[in-house]
Amino acid sequence: MLTQKRKFAVTMRVLLLCSLLATLVFAQKGFAETYTLSGKVSDSAGHAVPSATVTAKSVANGKTLTAETGSDGTYSIHDLAGGDYEVSAVAGELQAPPIKVTLAAAQTTDLVVTPAANRVESLPNAPQQQQTPPANPNAPSLSDLGFTPQQTQANAQLQATLAKRTEMLKIHQRLGLITTIPMAAAVFTGPLAKAKGKNGQIIKEPTDANLDFHAALGGLTTALYFTTASYAIFAPRIPNNPKHGGIKWHEALAWVHGPGMVLTPVLGYMAYKQENSGEKAHGIAAQHGTVAYITAGAYGAAIVAVSWPIHIKFWEKQ
Amino acid sequence: MKPILLLGLALVAASIAAPAFAQADTQYVLQQSSLSYHMSHPMHEVDGTSHAARGKGICHAGQCDFLIATPVKSFDSGDTNRDLHMLEATRGAQFPMVQVRTHFAESDINTPTLYADLEVQFAGQTAHYTHVSFQRTQQGNAVRITGTIPALCSDFKIDRPSFLTVPIKNEIPVRVDMTWLKQ
Repeated sequence: MLTQKRKFAVTMRVLLLCSLLATLVFAQKGFAETYTLSGKVSDSAGHAVPSATVTAKSVANGKTLTAETGSDGTYSIHDLAGGDYEVSAVAGELQAPPIKVTLAAAQTTDLVVTPAANRVESLPNAPQQQQTPPANPNAPSLSDLGFTPQQTQANAQLQATLAKRTEMLKIHQRLGLITTIPMAAAVFTGPLAKAKGKNGQIIKEPTDANLDFHAALGGLTTALYFTTASYAIFAPRIPNNPKHGGIKWHEALAWVHGPGMVLTPVLGYMAYKQENSGEKAHGIAAQHGTVAYITAGAYGAAIVAVSWPIHIKFWEKQ
Repeated sequence: MKPILLLGLALVAASIAAPAFAQADTQYVLQQSSLSYHMSHPMHEVDGTSHAARGKGICHAGQCDFLIATPVKSFDSGDTNRDLHMLEATRGAQFPMVQVRTHFAESDINTPTLYADLEVQFAGQTAHYTHVSFQRTQQGNAVRITGTIPALCSDFKIDRPSFLTVPIKNEIPVRVDMTWLKQ
């Protein structure tokens, strides 16, 4: 019995370590998303300026990254974290004053360098307000249509929040699909880890291997499940955005599989202890399997809900 | 005094008449509309529709200029999560409006099939579509225009969203159904 417990403890530690490593890998990917800032440096006559030094300085932490323009005046600064930057350029006596750029995706920012005494404003392509004057003076403009400034005003902060949210939910989706593998395996190995017979009579205990394997799968499923859940729980919320559609069902079902994923391992541990004592799982522990089936069913339904409507047509070329 | 008085009256008459002639432009106002993009994935066929478009057309000296615009976030695909993802992928917070401009001869406006060159501003990019056909039907004082803009994700440098690691198709045709009122 001690050997069994030791085996179980070692297996659980290994699994926990694996889960933590997986979490760290995904967390690093999720929280340290980087972007590329690129563009072209030209002079006031529109000619490309080669060998200019372009600097992107983080407003948040002052970290500075630089790049040199190529023969065509273009530059790229890679591996920039999302947020606000001051972007400037210098080419000998020519300079472009710093302009504020908010990075929430790969972005193109062109700069115009001029002599310091005759500096003109740089030309970022990030809009303050999306309004292009029509070429024909008789043509209607956006302001003629009666949209409010709130509707037409760019919101870089919201864009950054959306980018963060999407990134976290992408990881949530991937991890969620990965979690289905050990979860399904745990469901299928459940009967193999169950003692058979009636209490007070001869109990046919499961083999150590079956018990450990099932417990290990359960442990891995639990770790992956809560890591997956954390990416949805901590994803930024978008205000004034009432939910409708499949996502509503997806979230409602979490109220079933969430508590189920807390209860299942607890009941499993109780059942494990009872079986180790030579008893058949009894009392509330005997409900481990039922709770696990309901949890797995709700989890599967949650995946279907967010994927609905499903049209399978893999044979079509992309 | 009489010739001066007559000249004055003539000038006043001319000043009143001139704006009247200048305002001989024909204007069209978008009464109702339905703009729908279609997104295709091996597991999904999704349509996102906006009914929030506003538009105006001005015909002057035989030439017409039309502008139709709608907020990106007004497109509803039936799922909040998907719409927010669309808003992110299309940089809809940074570039909140979709704008479509077109210019054609006023004489073309009465033809059953209208061919238009479109300039579409979306996701911070401008794409041009030439010779796009639209069907026109007269309904009393209103003109109904229907057609499809053959938009592509790549036209607007949109990174195609993926599901189960499979990206959506590049084609995102936009179905247009508009009713214009002549004023």
